[in-house]
Amino acid sequence: MAAAAPPPPPTAVPVEALPETKLARHPLFCRIRLANPSDVPHIHKLIHQMAVFEHLTDQFTATESSLSSTLFRSQPFQSVTVFILEVSPKPFPESNFNPLYKPKVRILNLDHPIDDPEKETFKSEGDDVVVVGFALFVPNYSTFLGKPGFFVEDILVRECYRRKGFGKMLLTAVAKQAVEMGYGRVEWTVLDWNVNAIKFYEHMGAKVLQEWRICRLTGEALQAYGN
Amino acid sequence: MAAAAPPPLPTAAPVEALPETKLASHPLFCRIRLANPSDVPHIHKLIYQMAVFEHQTDQFTATESSLSSTLSRSQPFQSVTVFILEVSPNPFPESNFNPLYKPKVQILNLDHPIDDPEKETFKSEGDDVVVVGFALFVPSYLSFLGKPGFFVEDILVRECYRRKGFGKMLVTAVANQAVEMRYGRVDWTVVDRNVNAIKFYEHMGAKVSPQYRICKLTGEPLQANGN
Repeated sequence: MAAAAPPPPPTAVPVEALPETKLARHPLFCRIRLANPSDVPHIHKLIHQMAVFEHLTDQFTATESSLSSTLFRSQPFQSVTVFILEVSPKPFPESNFNPLYKPKVRILNLDHPIDDPEKETFKSEGDDVVVVGFALFVPNYSTFLGKPGFFVEDILVRECYRRKGFGKMLLTAVAKQAVEMGYGRVEWTVLDWNVNAIKFYEHMGAKVLQEWRICRLTGEALQAYGN
Repeated sequence: MAAAAPPPLPTAAPVEALPETKLASHPLFCRIRLANPSDVPHIHKLIYQMAVFEHQTDQFTATESSLSSTLSRSQPFQSVTVFILEVSPNPFPESNFNPLYKPKVQILNLDHPIDDPEKETFKSEGDDVVVVGFALFVPSYLSFLGKPGFFVEDILVRECYRRKGFGKMLVTAVANQAVEMRYGRVDWTVVDRNVNAIKFYEHMGAKVSPQYRICKLTGEPLQANGN
């Protein structure tokens, strides 16, 4: 998983935790929900932003069509699953949601509103709702535990929304879902030079395995194994 | 993935490649097929052997029951999938197989028969058929490609059968299946000091990513995210 920014120092607190003298001047309502097919254009752009961040745009061949046809073939959490993180200056309207996942809502108190140059591009349903990030994860299996787990392939928060705790919100939502489903483990990857991200993950209680490396068989080398 | 032994030097050739002067003195018929519920006791023992090999028996909590319930809920290749590798000194009898996967059969010519002290424990169906290893893999999702892949969680070959090419047979079977299904990549993990395994994987066409580290959130720090 590319954590597309080093983790933030905590700068925002939920409204309910503030003393009376400090009102929520710029509350930002935040919601994590399951993605649906209408989110595909946003997801496609966000994955492209991740490829740009990792300097891997030459490997980026996903299309909206390929995402549409592969992301929603199975029940959420049984196969690839996408969480969408959206924000709004107003409370979210009541909506119908996938009964398999009740959206998680919280309020951030910001000192300043966020200037979002891509606001129109990432407009979501409802007034002033914008998509700010996503997490894409798949179930895996821990043979020693004899239980499934989740592998988080990607988490991205759009640049202007970084350093506010959104990455942690997304990762926490995945971890919480794992616990609720009785899963044993949540895993992801980090680049070894991303020391801030590593500190953040360790602070969350994750262990960074220094000895293990990932092997990848892809492209022509993989095709050579065809019939 | 623990490769439970360094890779072998090639010592065996398929029967059909031998010149007339060298007959197959000890042919060994090898078959890779999808696991079925009756394989669970064997798979459980093999996973335990892997835990012993990795010095992680304290983390081993998998039971035959947890394994059965996971496998019974999993469509092959859409979820957790297990390939079983069996051998026999005789040709395999005709059997009914899962239509989703036609078993792969190969003949190894051995100079000496293999002495298998666990032959009775790992007896499979049919005369003289023994289970020698397995591969357990799950679908992954490659967001840049907009396609699934496979992640190989485990491969193990029983100790007396190592260094004969069985590990490679299992990886090849998974890679072949990925190509058949037009998946984009096959991934697994290796410990960085296992230079022989790394050389072997590179020889198979895999690239080892030096920069990525695996992060794992499990046990109490994971549970802390629950309600």
